[in-house]
Amino acid sequence: MNIAVNLTPAELALGGMMLPHARMEDWRWTNLRTLIDRPYPPGGKIAVAAKEIARLRDTSPLARMPAARLVFVNGAFSQGESRFPASGEVGIRPGLPRLSASDEPVASLNANFATDGLTLTIRSGANIDTPIELLFLATDADPRTIATRVAVDIGAGASATLIETFAGEGSYLANSAVSIALGEGARLDRVTLERQAPGAIHLADRDVTLQGRAVLRDFTLTAGAKLNRQNARYTLAGEHADARIAGAYLLGGRQHADTRLVVRHAKPHCTSREIFKCVMDDHARGIFQGKVIVDPGAQKTDGKQSSHALLLSETAEFDAKPELEIFADDVVCGHGATSGDLDHNHLFYLRSRGIPEREAKAMLVAAFVEEAFETIGNDHIRAALGEIATGWLASRGGAS
Amino acid sequence: MILNGLSLTVNAGEVHAIMGPNGSGKSTLSYVLSGREGYVVTQGSVTYRGQDLLAMEPDVRAAKGVFLAFQYPIEIPGVATMQFLKVALNAQRKARGEKELSTPDFMRLVKARAAKLGVSQDMLKRAVNVGFSGGEKKRAEILQMAVLEPSLCILDETDSGLDIDALRIVADGVNALRSPDRAMIVITHYQRLLDYIVPDVVHVLSQGRIVKSGGKNLAHELEERGYAQFEKDAA
Ligand SMILES: Nc1ncnc2c1ncn2[C@@H]1O[C@H](COP(=O)(O)OP(=O)(O)O)[C@@H](O)[C@H]1O
Ligand SMILES: [Mg+2]
Repeated sequence: MNIAVNLTPAELALGGMMLPHARMEDWRWTNLRTLIDRPYPPGGKIAVAAKEIARLRDTSPLARMPAARLVFVNGAFSQGESRFPASGEVGIRPGLPRLSASDEPVASLNANFATDGLTLTIRSGANIDTPIELLFLATDADPRTIATRVAVDIGAGASATLIETFAGEGSYLANSAVSIALGEGARLDRVTLERQAPGAIHLADRDVTLQGRAVLRDFTLTAGAKLNRQNARYTLAGEHADARIAGAYLLGGRQHADTRLVVRHAKPHCTSREIFKCVMDDHARGIFQGKVIVDPGAQKTDGKQSSHALLLSETAEFDAKPELEIFADDVVCGHGATSGDLDHNHLFYLRSRGIPEREAKAMLVAAFVEEAFETIGNDHIRAALGEIATGWLASRGGAS
Repeated sequence: MILNGLSLTVNAGEVHAIMGPNGSGKSTLSYVLSGREGYVVTQGSVTYRGQDLLAMEPDVRAAKGVFLAFQYPIEIPGVATMQFLKVALNAQRKARGEKELSTPDFMRLVKARAAKLGVSQDMLKRAVNVGFSGGEKKRAEILQMAVLEPSLCILDETDSGLDIDALRIVADGVNALRSPDRAMIVITHYQRLLDYIVPDVVHVLSQGRIVKSGGKNLAHELEERGYAQFEKDAA
């Protein structure tokens, strides 16, 4: 059978690649064919003044934190703007890492259009205290696709803190693929800060594998971009691996964010937790799709996921799709999802003590997302991101 | 109609007790005075220091000195007690055009007041009222009152759930706040509290109205004769 499809202008600009649409299983709430309503041609180098880069870089709440910083500007790795890790135990190899074949649309986009990337290696047994930040900046220019690819390999018994920050100005489509391998007994504290420009589109694909006894603490703050889709697959590939995956949404206006996680327990005695706290105001729309797969033989699996939505307006929306696929019999798995508005008793209590309504609401929003933020091990990072949450409501001027 | 035909004048420096059976409207009165939403005042007015209290938002009332110690203090997970208190105090000071308190000054103030009320450092480290016992919640309310230094204190059944030792501590805390420019409305179901916080005037509330007012001995009379008798007299 042959069905003729009229490609959209966005698809034509992407070399005729068809974008995912609502009839596809994981994409029912996020129809990229209609949501990406204009072309974002890929490629093309854009020269930027150093001053401009510095200005953008300094808007990051983590800018003043001591960290190694690996900076991408408009899809190109900029060694000149980067501050390389001091430790000889961290290796950085510029250039596109290999991507494992996938027909997942966001990954395919990256396979086709990634222009630059790097491979980050942490030697076995090394404890890297200073956080390493991957900073992806997009400067204002004509609408375009910016795609990057990073591979991270954390050796057995090593530990590190990795931050991925996305920021920019203007209208662009950022596509990012990151694959992370944690060796036996390795520990990674991973923080992602998505603060793309309000006119931007953010399409991310993550693939994380944990060997035995590896520990992952993973937090993503989704606050920027008009359209956000984040896919992540986590494979617990060795016994006693432990993954805690948390996220928070702070969405207003007509922002749309859709997170799709697949956590696969491939070996026995592993633990996974997913905790997402999503705040939506105005006409914002949040989606959380979480799937836990327990392979045959992965006994004693402990896997739980929860998503909680706070809707600050009548027109905000949240959809959750929790899924469990269990092929072992001795497991503890569960999921929960809640959705509600601000508790009026909480609000009155704060106001009765003299806290004005706006400030009281901001406090309650920060309190709501708090549990997800607890996943961030580094105090400095937690405080900096916490300030974003506290200041979020006030910074928007919108809701009352 | 929960409150009907209620009339009450409280002057600065006075402590008024309001006693009444369950469901007589005591908490409703405290909520109407502090500005909780969900109550419609269809008739009457509340004047506070010459201003129309009912026209003010709850936080404005607080900044002007109205404080309600809740019958059931609310737990707010995720909001740290110290941060909450500091934001509240400084919001009030700001609203009154006073200088905001620095963190060290604030810490000193809270620590001193907390010690007097037997509120532990551990409690202060927790989220607002979360994991507090009934008695701890009541003490925390009085601590907030001691830190915020309101000019009209409304205490809604602050004695309920307190053992005798805790009652003494709380009453001492309240008495320490008695001053010529501060008024208090002490709501209680039992006369016991009024042995410790001795009121200037006692009112009996029944079915949303004050059916009798008198001196502190009225509380004892109530205790002996019971509310039923008063309700009958009033009918
Ligand atoms: N929000 C409300 N809406 C309607 N009725 C209420 C509400 N709150 C309390 N009531 C009723 O009003 C009466 C007085 O309640 P309340 O003020 O709590 O009494 P008290 O504090 O004296 O026990 C009771 O009959 C109660 O059921
Ligand atoms: Mg009551």
